[in-house]
Amino acid sequence: MMKLRSIRFRLTVWYAGLLALLLVTFSVSTYVGLERYLASGLRESLTRRAIEIGPLLGNIVDDGAGQIAEIKAHYALESDNGFLRISRPDEKVLYVSGPTKDQSFDPRRVPFPKPVNSLRVDRAEPLAGGGSLVISTFRVAGLDGSPLLMEIGTSDRHIRETLNQLLLVFALALPLCLSVAIAGGYTLTRRALKPIGEITSKAERISSRNLSERLPTPKSGDEVERLSSSLNGMIERLEKAFHYLNRFSADASHELRTPLTILRGELELIAHRPDTAEDVRDTISTALEETDRLTKITESLLVVSRLDAGEAQMDHSHFDLAVLAGSTADQMRLLAEDKNIALTCRLNQPVDIEGDASRLKQVIVNLLDNAIKFTPAGGSVNVSAGTENGRAVLEICDTGAGIQADSIIRIFERFYRADAARTRKYGGVGLGLSIARAICKSHGGDIRVESVDGKGSRFRVDLPRANGSNTGAP
Amino acid sequence: MRILVVEDEERVARMVERGLASAAFAVDVACDGASGLEMASAYHYDLIVLDLMLPQLSGTEVLRRLRKINGQVPILILTALDGIAGKVEVFEVGADDYLTKPFAFAELLVRIKALLRRGPVTRASMLRIDNLELDRLTQQVKRAGRRIELTMKEYALLEYLMSNAGRVLSRTMIIEHVWDQSFDGVTNIVDVYVRHLRTKVDEAHEQKLIRTRRGVGYSISTREPE
Repeated sequence: MMKLRSIRFRLTVWYAGLLALLLVTFSVSTYVGLERYLASGLRESLTRRAIEIGPLLGNIVDDGAGQIAEIKAHYALESDNGFLRISRPDEKVLYVSGPTKDQSFDPRRVPFPKPVNSLRVDRAEPLAGGGSLVISTFRVAGLDGSPLLMEIGTSDRHIRETLNQLLLVFALALPLCLSVAIAGGYTLTRRALKPIGEITSKAERISSRNLSERLPTPKSGDEVERLSSSLNGMIERLEKAFHYLNRFSADASHELRTPLTILRGELELIAHRPDTAEDVRDTISTALEETDRLTKITESLLVVSRLDAGEAQMDHSHFDLAVLAGSTADQMRLLAEDKNIALTCRLNQPVDIEGDASRLKQVIVNLLDNAIKFTPAGGSVNVSAGTENGRAVLEICDTGAGIQADSIIRIFERFYRADAARTRKYGGVGLGLSIARAICKSHGGDIRVESVDGKGSRFRVDLPRANGSNTGAP
Repeated sequence: MRILVVEDEERVARMVERGLASAAFAVDVACDGASGLEMASAYHYDLIVLDLMLPQLSGTEVLRRLRKINGQVPILILTALDGIAGKVEVFEVGADDYLTKPFAFAELLVRIKALLRRGPVTRASMLRIDNLELDRLTQQVKRAGRRIELTMKEYALLEYLMSNAGRVLSRTMIIEHVWDQSFDGVTNIVDVYVRHLRTKVDEAHEQKLIRTRRGVGYSISTREPE
């Protein structure tokens, strides 16, 4: 199916439109030119006849039977569908040619011209059967010097027929030419765009895993070569950036973890020494808890930055999201019960997806942890999974405090907290939702939240379904 | 018991050395891969703690060569790298355990002790502490002869505590064993489960068994753990 806005379609339309315009212009000018040429030819032949016949008229006064016979014999006007009438200005006819061979008009009924003042006047009388009778009227002088009108005419049927035939040829040839042009244009653009299609499909196959690959660069010296070489340049810069990022991530892990390890180890050693006083031990324990928090923040930050950078090593397996959600909820059930919150699951149908199960489990854990944390005693948290519009959807709804409208867009930002006072009360490091979103995005999905302040929130994760799972709802 | 620590970060090495020494281990330290490999092949060690990012010879390479010489000695990997692929690789090459920096020292100690206890350990089907009994076959728990009803997770938690009776287990270790790493960030999941377990196991009894070591973790024991 060709898309209306595609280059191929637009180019073809332009080709066809331009060609149609050219063909129509050509046809119209040919038609008009031919028509004029034929018409002037006709008039010329009338003039020639008039010059031949004119001298014979001198003898026609009252009875010019001899001359008329000569005219008839020589010029065979009737068989040529011609017309000749010689009359006086008072419309007294001295001679009129007989009926024409094709019976297209009756010479005796041809109307008389308007009074003629010049030597020659051309006119056209319409004929009943279409076309017209082209007549040239000449003023000549008779033998006695009295004025005579000589009308010589002929039907323009031949011209009409010729022109009509030309019209027919145009009418047949034009659409034919046009369709050949459209087909040709379409094929040509397709051929012209084919290398671009190849570049695209090759480029699509390059992901963060095989950034060292490059697109083929045809030495054609045209836009296609420029396109693929500039894409290659971009991929190279991406590769460098990825490399730098991975190295940075590894370095940062090492540099941050080493001092934390020492800090923690030394603190523990002091705490474990038998001669450590009780109050020192308490202080050390507090310091240890903070070290723990710092460790968690560091770990979470590294996870987010790796996910954001498009981590190359991700597990890929086929599993049921509903089962995963159910088992995860079961593992956290006591957390909810402890706060007197009803944790319910609506996970009736299997939802097959493909991805990193342990990472997606992290998403469910983080969302459930949040929901339980921010729902007051007596509330409820519901987990449901299903499919919608061919996507896998996981929803976690709570009857908690909800999120204020101005916070809702920022809730997935790193370290964002809607309420600073909650930080101390609920603990955590403020990265759970960032991690959840980063994981969803790395799976080609997303996470959104709807919330009514004071009524509760609904977190909605949507992910692509596994290949091969039937997309239609049963 | 003699332990070799191969660690290029001097302060980490020293800290580990002192900690293990205070836990009555004899400790040698090697500062790079080559000397680590040399020492490991020259002397007999009961366990080797090995860092992965090492100068001269990478930890993975040391591990690979060590396994050719000695397939028996338990090796615990200590690293700042936490990529899953890297983890899988070192286990394939022959590591016995894996600990990511920064770690709790108590955790390192417990893991070391667990590795040293390895071998033909009979997995007793009945665990007993004071008058608390846990039957691994029937998954039943009794205290003073009376049955205690536990949920799956509570049972798993109690079993883990009892099979390491007397040792402090960190929250991370408990999460790793009873849940999985996805739950690591969950605010207080271990505390909540331990509290519920306490209500069921300890509340009605004079002798409390489940103990808290602040900032470190939990243990189950009749007396304060060392």
